[in-house]
Amino acid sequence: MNNNKYKILVVEDEDNICKFISALLEANGYQAIIAKTCLMAQSMFSSYIPDLIILDLGLPDMDGMNFLNYVRETSLTPIIVLSARSDESDKVNALDSGANDYVTKPFSTAELLARVRSSLRNSRHSADDGHFPGRKFLLGGLVIDYDARRVFLQNVEVKLTQTEYNIVALLSEHCGKVMTYSSIIKTIWGHPDGGSIKKLQVNMANIRKKLRDKPGGSNYIINELGVGYRMNNEESD
Amino acid sequence: MRKRSAYIKNIAITLGILCLSFAIGLLLQTIFNVQATIPTVFVFAVFLVSLLTDGYVYGIIAAFIITIIVNYAFTVPYFKINFTIPENIFSALIMVSIALVTSTLTAKIKYQDTIRVESEKERMRANLLRAISHDLRTPLTTIYGSSSAILENYDSFSEEQKIQMIQGIKEDSEWLVHMVENLLSITKIDSGNVKIIKTPIALDELIDSVLQKFKKRYPYQKIDLDIPDNVVVIPMDPLLIEQVIINILENSVQHAKGMTRLSLRVFTMANLAIFEISDNGCGIDKERIDKLFSEYSVSDEHQADSKRSNAGIGLSVCATIIKAHGGEIYAGNVKNGGTVIRFSLHMEETDDE
Repeated sequence: MNNNKYKILVVEDEDNICKFISALLEANGYQAIIAKTCLMAQSMFSSYIPDLIILDLGLPDMDGMNFLNYVRETSLTPIIVLSARSDESDKVNALDSGANDYVTKPFSTAELLARVRSSLRNSRHSADDGHFPGRKFLLGGLVIDYDARRVFLQNVEVKLTQTEYNIVALLSEHCGKVMTYSSIIKTIWGHPDGGSIKKLQVNMANIRKKLRDKPGGSNYIINELGVGYRMNNEESD
Repeated sequence: MRKRSAYIKNIAITLGILCLSFAIGLLLQTIFNVQATIPTVFVFAVFLVSLLTDGYVYGIIAAFIITIIVNYAFTVPYFKINFTIPENIFSALIMVSIALVTSTLTAKIKYQDTIRVESEKERMRANLLRAISHDLRTPLTTIYGSSSAILENYDSFSEEQKIQMIQGIKEDSEWLVHMVENLLSITKIDSGNVKIIKTPIALDELIDSVLQKFKKRYPYQKIDLDIPDNVVVIPMDPLLIEQVIINILENSVQHAKGMTRLSLRVFTMANLAIFEISDNGCGIDKERIDKLFSEYSVSDEHQADSKRSNAGIGLSVCATIIKAHGGEIYAGNVKNGGTVIRFSLHMEETDDE
């Protein structure tokens, strides 16, 4: 098989879903590996060393979270979780345990592919992470200069407060990944208290205004309602 | 917890009524010096206790306590317990029977009430089920028919025909996805007394999320937006409220014939956030407005042939969700043509920054 294709491990027990996901991935230039149980996934994971994992949480032998934790013990391979719609707490749980992203079932193929691209890009980003001097974040008209702690929009500086900058920088460092409310609060303010969600919401509202994000537009920061925020890393489509 | 508070409530009622009746009895005896009415006061007290408390126990206990009190304080010999007098035993028996009969009657009435509510719910559920199974058949026919047609006659169809059929499959499954979302919401709320878990959500984030989803479904429909500039935080189940707004917007797109303007406005009034979705289309028939939210009504007249829609269950889902949030929903026609649907949600009472 072609070696420079990205290898994607699909952990999903439904036959039909497996079929279309793997067909879709292969048609888009990825190599798909299928595992139908948690145990199978574990052995596939160590033998193939995939670049990305798509994980359904409801598996016949064990909860998918087991596999998630198993992978996270040893590796940072990006994981996209497939979740049923109903529960935000499941998503938050998976994200806080180290999943990079989630896609709600039923999903469109465009959505899944976008998340796959974004997660792969994100993992390449973090591979050369660690704040090189002069490192900058570029996205559309948005530039973040990490050394100077300054943000520019279409070459005009955006005046952010300390906290606002910290939040924007945090989201940009994890660009493409959903950051849950609690993980942002923990990083920015340390330990959360009763008012911290509200504080975060107010700060986010100001940031959006300053970045000229509009409701319904193609924005730099995407709301994952009830879960968290994500810095958009798809070129606007 | 709830059980405990119910105990406390029942005991408080019992004691309160007993004390009151005892006080009235004393009053009658010492001040007005009337003997004959005292037993009737106590009979009434037993009746009240049985009526206002749950189950038989409290009524019977009250009857016993009262018999002893009456025996002790209000009958000859005064301030002595004496059950040898047949009259006293007789009155005790009457008290206990009153307690028993009243409790039985109230229990029966309460039981019938719950049965009525249950059967009402059952009827709603049956209606819903009927409406849905009817609605489900059409998209399933398309999906089943088109996919098997393609599989069986792959070579004889032209490329264009195949794409058309696959397009149909996609559209109808999207419709099914939407329908299932609505159903999930209803069952989430309807099943027992599940309380909605509210989290504080910033209004502009909610609206953004709604518009993103709406744009995916209806890329060419513009929406005039008017929301407050300051940060408004509303406690809600975001997925459900999002669905309400999308359902209402979608309802306009699908049913407001001749619509050129669709607008979404949110404003605050005292402690309420009011959402207003209006269009300038054809409006809603007068007779239908009243029933719009109340039933899982699928308009029968244009059922058979017309384009399917989620309107039947869509709007009643909205009403169910808003009511479960403690808000109110209203639909009406605008003077110069068009529909307006308004709903309100309670905001956080606390500080503004």
